[in-house]
Amino acid sequence: MSNEQLLALLPFMVLAGASIVVILMIAARLSHTAIQVAGFLMLCFTVLAMGYVRDILPQEILPLFIIDGFAALYTGVIIFSVGVVGLLSYIYFEEREENPKEYYILLFLATLGAAVLTISRHFVSLFLGLEILSVSLYALIAYLRNRNNAIESGLKYLILAALTSAFLLLGMALFYMETGSMEFNAIGQKLAGSDPGVLFKLGLALMVVAIGFKLALVPFHLWAADVYQGAPAPVTAFIATASKVGVFAVLMRFSLAVNLQQSEFLLNVFSGIAIASMILGNILALRQQNIKRLLAYSSIAHLGYLIVAFLPGTREGIEASVFYLFAYAITILSAFGIVTILSTRMKDAEDLSVYRGLFWRKPLLAAVLAVSLFSLAGIPLTAGFFAKFIVLLTGANYNLWLPVIVLVLTSVIGLYYYLRIISTLFASAPAAEPRHKPLHPFFHFVTYATLFVLMVMICVLGVFPGPAIEGIRQFLMIR
Amino acid sequence: MTLIWIIAIFFAGGLLCWAAQFVNRVLIKWIALIAAVANLALVGAAYAEYRNGSAPGDWLIDYTVNWIPSFAIKFHIALDGLSLVLLLLTAFLGVLAVLCSWKEIKERVGFYYFNLLWTLAGITGVFVAMDLFLFYFFWEVMIVPMYFLIAIWGDSNRRYASYKFFIFTQAGGLLMLVSILALFFINHANTGNYTFDFFELQNITLSVAEGRWIMLGFLVAFVIKLPAVPFHSWLPDAHSEAPTAGSLILAGLLLKTGAYGIMRFVITLFPQNSAEIAQWAMLVGVIGIIYGAMLAFAQNDLKRFIAYTSVSHMGFILLGVYSFREMAFDGVVMQMLTHGISTGALFAMAGMIKERLHTREMGNMGGLWTGMPLMGGLALLFAMASLGLPMMGNFIAEFLILVGAYEVNPTLTIIASIGLVFAALYSLRMMQRVFFGPRTTPDRHPEPFLRQGELREGSAHSASAVYDLSAREFTILISLSVAIVILGLFPQPVLDSVNTVVQSLIQKNTP
Amino acid sequence: MNVSDILFYFLSALAIGSAILVVISRSPIYSVLWLIVTFFAISGHYIMMNAQFLGIVNLIVYAGAIMVLFLFVIMLINLNTDAKPQKGKWLRLAGTVAGGCLLLVLVAALKNTEVKGMGVQVGTGDIGLINQLGKALFTEYVVPFEISSILFLSAMVGAVVIGKK
Repeated sequence: MSNEQLLALLPFMVLAGASIVVILMIAARLSHTAIQVAGFLMLCFTVLAMGYVRDILPQEILPLFIIDGFAALYTGVIIFSVGVVGLLSYIYFEEREENPKEYYILLFLATLGAAVLTISRHFVSLFLGLEILSVSLYALIAYLRNRNNAIESGLKYLILAALTSAFLLLGMALFYMETGSMEFNAIGQKLAGSDPGVLFKLGLALMVVAIGFKLALVPFHLWAADVYQGAPAPVTAFIATASKVGVFAVLMRFSLAVNLQQSEFLLNVFSGIAIASMILGNILALRQQNIKRLLAYSSIAHLGYLIVAFLPGTREGIEASVFYLFAYAITILSAFGIVTILSTRMKDAEDLSVYRGLFWRKPLLAAVLAVSLFSLAGIPLTAGFFAKFIVLLTGANYNLWLPVIVLVLTSVIGLYYYLRIISTLFASAPAAEPRHKPLHPFFHFVTYATLFVLMVMICVLGVFPGPAIEGIRQFLMIR
Repeated sequence: MTLIWIIAIFFAGGLLCWAAQFVNRVLIKWIALIAAVANLALVGAAYAEYRNGSAPGDWLIDYTVNWIPSFAIKFHIALDGLSLVLLLLTAFLGVLAVLCSWKEIKERVGFYYFNLLWTLAGITGVFVAMDLFLFYFFWEVMIVPMYFLIAIWGDSNRRYASYKFFIFTQAGGLLMLVSILALFFINHANTGNYTFDFFELQNITLSVAEGRWIMLGFLVAFVIKLPAVPFHSWLPDAHSEAPTAGSLILAGLLLKTGAYGIMRFVITLFPQNSAEIAQWAMLVGVIGIIYGAMLAFAQNDLKRFIAYTSVSHMGFILLGVYSFREMAFDGVVMQMLTHGISTGALFAMAGMIKERLHTREMGNMGGLWTGMPLMGGLALLFAMASLGLPMMGNFIAEFLILVGAYEVNPTLTIIASIGLVFAALYSLRMMQRVFFGPRTTPDRHPEPFLRQGELREGSAHSASAVYDLSAREFTILISLSVAIVILGLFPQPVLDSVNTVVQSLIQKNTP
Repeated sequence: MNVSDILFYFLSALAIGSAILVVISRSPIYSVLWLIVTFFAISGHYIMMNAQFLGIVNLIVYAGAIMVLFLFVIMLINLNTDAKPQKGKWLRLAGTVAGGCLLLVLVAALKNTEVKGMGVQVGTGDIGLINQLGKALFTEYVVPFEISSILFLSAMVGAVVIGKK
């Protein structure tokens, strides 16, 4: 491994180092605040390291990794999400009695897992990344084990994730049997020109099960609502953003390498999954009264929208998917940020009644939530609109009319439940309950400020998406 | 630049209003009023400058700047005669909407005016946007604040009404977006350049089948907004639940964006396909006229009644547009203006009555004339306008449409003119039930209207008290009635302004 | 048919049969015991493929360590017949049907492939020898090897967090 290759891995090493730093700090009995600050600094270092190594990209570390603009973009989205999640975690866990410190170790490890996925070009690294991500997530989901649903949802995730890991392994084995290789590109070359054999299709089917599970696509979505509900709010935000970004990145890279989209049959399979996710996700969300479950179902639908951008398998498709994921990450993070802030010691703020008349009690929080819901619904002036627009544009460009039309129609269904929350926000307020003084005024301020910045970002991306898209294009040139 | 100023003033005024909430509550209304009046002045100046319309194929104002170059999206706004008269209507009704809400809105005033002004900004944008993406953008921008107006300041059933309004219009809008994308890519396939610009897309050639589907996307959006039967069901709910100014803007302006869209985009971009469906569209229009009138006749709720008369009147627009005759087009433009004014006035009055009696049920009204003769007189005037009495603008509009359409399809036109008879029936019935007949409510000591506004301050909460118009209300109604009479007596200036637009539409649509 | 063939079929039958018994045993303790048998059978396969190291590791880690742990846990929490989860008849039926369908699809798909000609090569290859494995792990696959240490770290931390108190 040359120096440059090692250097290119720097951001990932910093990320791995972050968890070690946290372990050492816990050993030294430093306070939660100190760990929070140190963790944040480590994330900043990661970003700096990414900037630092930018010029030497792309680097291939054979046979496992490739660090190019594509990976940098997805990793960037992941790091961004984790930064926000980490910040949100502080007040969330500080208000709870259980010791929150180990949480950060797991958070960084999960991040590392997701980040490793974005640079994988080999089944081994794919599997390792996925396992690091899932193993950390088991513990993260069940972190507040004294609450009702925590252990249940953690266990549910554990069993299903282990099952799908087995599927993934068998799928990989079949690929290996067919092509004699575990590298994406080598597999692609073996298959080039010839019709993929039965083993390949079977292996792919098994892999789709595993990937579909992680992305919570229909029909592998059954865990989503329970896990979203049972996990602590910041962890839910992590599952909704970072973990999905990582898995989607590796799916994209794999499919580009093996020209997945060339095959009519596979294209149909994926558009079927996309359509089913869009329809079922939106319909299941319609009658939800629990906001975390509702967001879970809406995330199923949103991943369905995202798969529409995945279908063409071209540069435009990647562009659209990156922009979509970025916009989605910002949006869903601000939504879960509000859930986090409003959560009390005993219970997450998941019941819709908590939000009744919020606008008149806490205008800023309600405005952030309303903007993010509008963004999820895809209303102009928000990032979500533009993201959906690009996806539609990509789909229309490649004549994927059926998914496009379904996307449009299901968005209309989706509108209903987003509007329901929004109108709850603006409903006439009950008397404001006496609010105990916030524990850490500084962190409260920082969290509020972050959420405000997120809201501004949603609006800016919605009105002037040009620079962001140009930036994405430039990064994708690095290959 | 005038156009940008107008839009910017609405947007900035809205933000200022919201900000002023934290400073001074009285300030808010004045900011809103100043913004609206300033825009009326700007549009008025523009009208004075450009009132004779443009040379054929020319635009009065044409302004382009790149917005999102990655997707060839431009901020392109332009003005022609049609846009000009509609802007005039927007600015005029905008001022009145602000005035209407002066006393009605008592809580969350800042956010209210923010939404009001942003709706107006969106509408203005819709009337001048010439980039299809920008058009869609404004199309949505006007819906969201309108949704808030209904959902927050509406009546008891506001949630349902606001959902319905939003979801109907959004569904149409998204289909339109898909159509816009289809145009975008077909144009790219034909000419090799990516553009959303209406000027360039105007020259697109489409196969008949392509055109049919794409046109349908546009048409659904506009027809929902118009609204035509069977897409009208959001309208009575939204209208009756919205606050007064909301109903005024909905009826006066939002419906016109649908009509505008059909004229500007549908029949311009798809002349062949439009000719194909012309008969059907006229039929739908006529069904709307008759059906709306019949439903209006059966209503007990004053605002729902007015809403259904809108459905009926908007049927004339479909009838007129799809007859492709010069006179009919003239009539359609007139109908947009006069319906905006007369229905707006009726809604304003319904709001005023509701402020006094706290009900919309016509059954609980009756004999109001004795309590408020001024309003009664003006109401009679607008009822007459609504039923198409000569001397009022509506008469000119409907007459022109019927004459134009008669050349094309006499049968439908005759049925449509039966709608006028119905209009007389339901308008007079409304007058009868609300203003005549036995008194059901007590009135307060009648005093000259000028002092009553002040009196009301003290005892505004006393239930069901009938008193005549205050100075502010009088101003609103009298300016509307002057406008409707002027349009009825001297429609020529309007027709002059839109003449070139109509000519070019005729050219496009004459095989 | 020589000895190794016979051995191969015997081990395969043993693995499949005991795996089925894991699933259908009523008592969890029997399940664990059958699982150990399965592991032994698989280790036998490894050894037949000249991967002695993998075979031994498999035995030591799974059959030796993990399964004994399982046994202890089950015995300690003392599951009696009452505590056994009651599953509905329909649920079982649905599970069987779903699993059967998956099996059917797998078999149907694999039937058509060209694996028929590829007989199992017993006693050849050296990939599973400790020498080769060590070389591969510390040269070509050193990065994943390091990364898997992180995987263990996360599993460890998770176990401690969930398990304490």
